[in-house]
Amino acid sequence: MTSRSAQRRSSNLVRDAHEPSKPKWLLPAIVIGVVAIAAILAIAIAGRGKKAADTGGLQQVQPVEVSGTPLPTLSDPNNDAAVGMTIPTITGKSFDGTPVTIAPTGSPQLILFVAHWCPHCQREVPLLSDWMKQGSMPAGVQLTTVATGTSADAPNYPPSAWLQKNDWPSPIMADSTNSDAAQAMGLPGYPYFVLVDGDGKVVARTSGEISTDQLETMLKSLVAQSNG
Amino acid sequence: MITTDSAKLFFALLTLVANAAVLAGAGLWLAARWSKGAALVMDDVQAELTRLGVPVAFAVAATAMAGSLYFSEVANFVPCTLCWYQRIAMYSLAIILLVAVIRRDRNIRPYGITLALVGLPISVYHYLVEWYPNLETNVCSTGLSCSIVWFRSLGFMSLAYMAGSGFALIALVLALTPKESA
Repeated sequence: MTSRSAQRRSSNLVRDAHEPSKPKWLLPAIVIGVVAIAAILAIAIAGRGKKAADTGGLQQVQPVEVSGTPLPTLSDPNNDAAVGMTIPTITGKSFDGTPVTIAPTGSPQLILFVAHWCPHCQREVPLLSDWMKQGSMPAGVQLTTVATGTSADAPNYPPSAWLQKNDWPSPIMADSTNSDAAQAMGLPGYPYFVLVDGDGKVVARTSGEISTDQLETMLKSLVAQSNG
Repeated sequence: MITTDSAKLFFALLTLVANAAVLAGAGLWLAARWSKGAALVMDDVQAELTRLGVPVAFAVAATAMAGSLYFSEVANFVPCTLCWYQRIAMYSLAIILLVAVIRRDRNIRPYGITLALVGLPISVYHYLVEWYPNLETNVCSTGLSCSIVWFRSLGFMSLAYMAGSGFALIALVLALTPKESA
């Protein structure tokens, strides 16, 4: 029994006998040609030296000083040993050198930690920015943002440009190279939210993306607790 | 001068060629079921693959391995867990296909196809995680997360996409390469 494929091959042999045979080097030459063209295009278009990320003259990491007892690293938001603890005082600077301090202020606070390379922070920041533009942040809550985990080798660098692009409204502290501010507040992952009452005591901490509705509920509870 | 940007574009262009080859190969294979003309072209292609199928598959795996090493060791894009799983499949392919090329051994086909079909779904999942990070988790660890996208050439080609394209092309080339005659 002869298969259809074998029949075709047989007819191909007849056909090939009447056609000039293709040189054996044709396919390898095509492959090498394609690779060479790709290489020439890549070097011509993108090979004019690596552009350093434009930081706009801003410092993406700044020295940070911590005083007071650091908070333990968050492991379980529902059974958080840091609740009731007073936050440490953290003094640092914004990207442009403006002093920024995280400390008990007499008002309820939200302290938010974000990393420029983290896709969850990249999703959360524009959501929160829009939410704040709509005036949904409960009155009286102070927001301080810490740009932490910063690395010039990582995607979406620099954080200053990323936050500016999202019209980020709050004071921003640029964390140190060793992420001292994040460590002092017990950061387990990004994004990271620390809710603090007027006395500077931790009310709640959570890590990971949350919806604006969840955040609003948490902040309203924080304000009610602070007023009560 | 080779820069990280030129390397990204170089591998992106090769990936486009790989995608075109997979579409053309799969399309031709399907068309050959119904069209005699397409079947004749397919026979020609398979005749070429008898000689060149394994070397082409090796070239794809070796190029993917070289790219992976360049991006991790020169560009410092740190590989995540899913990257490592894909590396296990791709590096193994490069090694066994090299041995097959040297020995002119087309019996490598089932082993190569199996490894490529192990790597391909991992790449697809990794690519989905890059677009939908909450598939994996809703938080970035302080270590390395697989949802981090080091770059997207032409707006969509990440490293996972490139790896997946390589696996697809290797699997297709080896599947279309005729079996070793008894």
